[in-house]
Amino acid sequence: MRWIFLLGAAAGLLGCPGNGGTPTAKPDPKPPLLTAEIKLELPSIPSKIETTKSQPTENNAPGKRSPILDIMKAETERQMAALRKQKDPAHYLAYQLVEQRVVSLEAEGGALITDSDDTARNLDVEVRVGDPMLDSTRDLASDDNGLNSPLTRRGVVPFGEDKLAISNAMWLETDRRYREAVTALGYVRQDQSTLSKRATAPDFAPQPTPEVYVEAPVTLAFDKQQWVDRLKRCSAKALKGTATRGTCGVVFQQNTAWFVNSEGSQIQLSWTNAQMSVSVGVKAEDGMSLSRLEQRFGRQPGDLPADADVDKMIATVTSELDALHDAPLAEPYVGPAILEGRAAGVFFHEVFGHRIEGHRQKDKTGGQTFASYVGKDIAPEWLSVYDDPMIVTLNGMQLNGFYRFDDEGVRAQKVPLIDRGKLVGFVMGRNPIKGFMTSNGHGRRSPGLPPVARQGNLVVEVDKSVPRADLEKLLVEEIKKQRRPYGMIFTDISGGFTNTSAFAPQAFKVNPVMAYKLFPDGKRELVRGIDISGTPLVALQSIRAASREVETFNGVCGAESGWVPVSASSPSLLLEKLEIEKGFVPPDRPPVLQPPSIRKEAP
Amino acid sequence: MKSATAWLALLALVSSHVGIANAVPAKKEELPKGPGSKAVTDEILDAIAEEMNRAMTALEIPNNPKPYHISYKVTEVDVNDAAASLGQTTSKRNRHFVNLEARVRVQIAPTLDNGNFSVPQAEEIDAVVAINLPVESNARIARRAAWLVTDGAYKEALIQLRAKLEHRRASGARVSDVPAWTTEKAMVSEEPVLVPVLEPLDELEARAKAISAGFRDHPQIRDSRVALTSYLERRWYITTEGTSVTDTRRASGVVIAASGQSDDGQPLAQYFLRYGHTAKDLPADDELKAESKKLVDTITALQKAPMIERYSGPVLFEGEGAVGLLRFALAPHLGGTPVPEGLNPQEAKQFGGALTDKIGLRVLAPNLTIVDDPTARDGGGKALIGGYKIDDEGVRAQRVEVVKDGTLKTLLTSRTPSAKGMTSNGHARRTAEGGAFHGSATNMFVSGKTTVSRAALKAKLIATARAEGLKYGLIIRRFDDAAITAAPEFSRRELVQLIKSTDQQIPPPAVLAYRVLPNGKEELVRGVQLAEVPIRAWKDVLGVSKETTTYNFLAATEGQLNLRLTGGTDDGFVPSGGIESGIVTPDLLLKEIDVQPASTGALPSPILPKPGK
Repeated sequence: MRWIFLLGAAAGLLGCPGNGGTPTAKPDPKPPLLTAEIKLELPSIPSKIETTKSQPTENNAPGKRSPILDIMKAETERQMAALRKQKDPAHYLAYQLVEQRVVSLEAEGGALITDSDDTARNLDVEVRVGDPMLDSTRDLASDDNGLNSPLTRRGVVPFGEDKLAISNAMWLETDRRYREAVTALGYVRQDQSTLSKRATAPDFAPQPTPEVYVEAPVTLAFDKQQWVDRLKRCSAKALKGTATRGTCGVVFQQNTAWFVNSEGSQIQLSWTNAQMSVSVGVKAEDGMSLSRLEQRFGRQPGDLPADADVDKMIATVTSELDALHDAPLAEPYVGPAILEGRAAGVFFHEVFGHRIEGHRQKDKTGGQTFASYVGKDIAPEWLSVYDDPMIVTLNGMQLNGFYRFDDEGVRAQKVPLIDRGKLVGFVMGRNPIKGFMTSNGHGRRSPGLPPVARQGNLVVEVDKSVPRADLEKLLVEEIKKQRRPYGMIFTDISGGFTNTSAFAPQAFKVNPVMAYKLFPDGKRELVRGIDISGTPLVALQSIRAASREVETFNGVCGAESGWVPVSASSPSLLLEKLEIEKGFVPPDRPPVLQPPSIRKEAP
Repeated sequence: MKSATAWLALLALVSSHVGIANAVPAKKEELPKGPGSKAVTDEILDAIAEEMNRAMTALEIPNNPKPYHISYKVTEVDVNDAAASLGQTTSKRNRHFVNLEARVRVQIAPTLDNGNFSVPQAEEIDAVVAINLPVESNARIARRAAWLVTDGAYKEALIQLRAKLEHRRASGARVSDVPAWTTEKAMVSEEPVLVPVLEPLDELEARAKAISAGFRDHPQIRDSRVALTSYLERRWYITTEGTSVTDTRRASGVVIAASGQSDDGQPLAQYFLRYGHTAKDLPADDELKAESKKLVDTITALQKAPMIERYSGPVLFEGEGAVGLLRFALAPHLGGTPVPEGLNPQEAKQFGGALTDKIGLRVLAPNLTIVDDPTARDGGGKALIGGYKIDDEGVRAQRVEVVKDGTLKTLLTSRTPSAKGMTSNGHARRTAEGGAFHGSATNMFVSGKTTVSRAALKAKLIATARAEGLKYGLIIRRFDDAAITAAPEFSRRELVQLIKSTDQQIPPPAVLAYRVLPNGKEELVRGVQLAEVPIRAWKDVLGVSKETTTYNFLAATEGQLNLRLTGGTDDGFVPSGGIESGIVTPDLLLKEIDVQPASTGALPSPILPKPGK
């Protein structure tokens, strides 16, 4: 039996790195297109970035400490006292208990279609057997089926603060995980004994100074009925123009996380977040599915837009959808292009961000694109990139990638990644690589999965910039210089993927949803059905100019350690060359019958 | 493929059971009924029917057959679940959802349509397409949903039919004169079937917490949980034959599960499970606490109990043991729907089929009679939840005498017949590869013409064992149910190894089994695994008890091994996948059963003892 899922667009999702998911990009038979450097004279005015930040230890409230931390600490100490003495000793033990309430409301065409409010409490246990130099987490040289990885599993822990109930759940899961780790280490040692060349970087970065921090619990505040009414009104309004689907939804989350490890860290974090989306969709005449999405994020439901602003979101998505519906398909193209703010942010997240996640530099099957580029120029000298999870707002917008401590108990840190064109760093969890032996607080995961290095708030900043309007003039100059019939402007990218496996080309592919041809006379034409593809080093070196204005993409990113909230902020960028290829359009099998008169009862 | 029924059951975490060897008798007093559906209104059903009529008239791809039959099943599930461990809540939630499922049939002759065929390498193509409907729907959404699922199911039906033709040609199958689909009289029964309202979540939670607290003082218990559920499922069927019916099922249940480990490392699991129409049919809290204590005592005793050796001889299946034997070794063979074409012999085994072509022959001991009765609400004085008014193909439920004095009279049938002239007797309940509903047991009543007391049956077991030169006989009182007891104890490597090396068709291990010595003394043994029970073993039933057991369970659509390896319902909810079923049976003494030690292996003992208070 087959299921049809009507509710299209899961939004704000960034598909991420890896070998799976979407098809890999075709290898380019030609050498990289690095044409003669164009000397653009850019004014030395930096892009506008104003941030508010909160240090990891701010708002420490020891008086709000939950007894759960003490229960976890006691069980950690009891366990480690025994596990350290085993034939295969554990050298590290960490528990993370996350209680998450998720409220999800969604309306389509005026009717409520999703109404859920679930709370779950899940335990993750990290037991490392062996020693920090070589432990049970070491990847095997060849383990295509991932047999040596821990089983994805969420440990269910009772609610409340009962010592016996909570510590019993911890004991059970530790027993299972320790046994699993001992087996894994056996295979690791056997694997190592057969290799001609063994990695020298350790498997784990100990942290000598434990962290102790308590954040006061926060709760969600919202009037459910009011939101239901708003969403119904919103979705009824969204169903206009060519749209055959119009949905409005909110997701509110309340999270409390307790982390304790054998190094003595004890961390209690509590946060809420809220997200609203307006989404519309239709099929083009040729069968291509088209959709538009606008999202807003906040810490609390009250931070989300008022009705008047929601009306603007609706107007944006419906007018863009109507335009897309009538837009022609584009052809493959290579030439100059502008990536506008949010699109540039997503572009950097995919093309650059996933390749500077530290653990990928030691993955034998990975492309290790940037491993040998530390200290070398990889981008224009006026461009820098950093990741800073401590940023709360950027130019007044709340950033999705804010956190105080990562999921390995390490405090969030600002990490310079590109400094004036030179590659200087990686986002690091507790899996060290040569030259970067400590974590910088980027080990992240969703419950049930082992943490790896992930991005938080990625920020692209430039020392030289021009007003956005002038960037378009520079694009026209480029078009003429390269004798192209037109250039491209991308204002929105829905996501994409980047292949980091050494087996396949080190390519990326991102999916622009709003793409315009810009002709030398200034005329714009919206087109559809294309992807941007290329290789990261070429793409970074192709950046020629940036705008003063900076925009932010907020979303969630999926990779091997699950879905984590992220943001990417960037000025608009002019690239000398971008390659555009035809997007994948699945074969369309339109329904045999014309639609029923689906609009006649539309509210 | 996961059948629609299985999917619902999994999502709804509804299920089976209500066992009740010693439960409170069903109350005669009727509880007040709750309201009908607010989610599936006449307006919604009319919109779907309108779309059905449009499809029946106009849906056609040139040069391909048009649909000759379209049906829709709308299902609304509303379930309250609460689970607790050691006196603390682990989950508490309501789920309420509606889905719409379309089935389309196309044919090139009355004896050849797309149905009951599993497309090789594409078993999901079965002419069944489903979609979720909002719980607050409107005609516009329903009409659009019906349009999409009908279109999808029609296209699948055409592919399925083509693949079936190819398969028949390649395999040289004979042309059959058996119709592909029976003709049944259209039924109209649109009055809502009202049932008592669900027990509130807070009440379920309070009970789960109170009962689960009983495990706090037992360091030998590794893990434990108590879960309660309260559930209703409303169904509507609309077909192009003019059938328009509705029905409602309602159940409440409780599960208590606990685990431990033997001194040599073998995992030990015990459970107690009861279901009724409402919570009034379930044991009271005091009784449930006493049952929890029994589980603790059993696990404690099993820790030191010896492993069984290989054994071949008489086995007395007592109480839930008799239920388990019928459930795993006989019930699958009672279906009269042919095994789906396109399956390999190993896959086909799950459909039983050992009694096909044996109507009129003696297949069981002459002492035994079997009746399957989905119209029954009670049996042996206790609630039965396997009943319904209308089956999954819109045919009225019927009482069927399957075996009379050991002779097979008929089989449990759906609208896909295995012989010419066969019609449905309202037992279409189980879907499987190929998309057809299969006739299967619902409320199964087993009785003996001549019965003896439980004690006399035990004496006969001892005498038979002695006559065969055996040192002891064997009593089995409970089989495992992995949907309840499985815990994710295995590593990824162990999972792969077990899946590769285990026979998926054998019954689950017996978790309560005793050696009976010549002096009548019983010794608890562990690791009891039955080999495959051949259908001929049922001809040698040596005795039947006067006492009967009434028990409800899920006829799981997922194999027991799969459930065990994937952790069953370890997330704390009430199980599981499958269809609600009930069995009323006496104890059964079978002459010869092969038993071997279970090979589920041993785990190292925990390094640390369970934490104390």
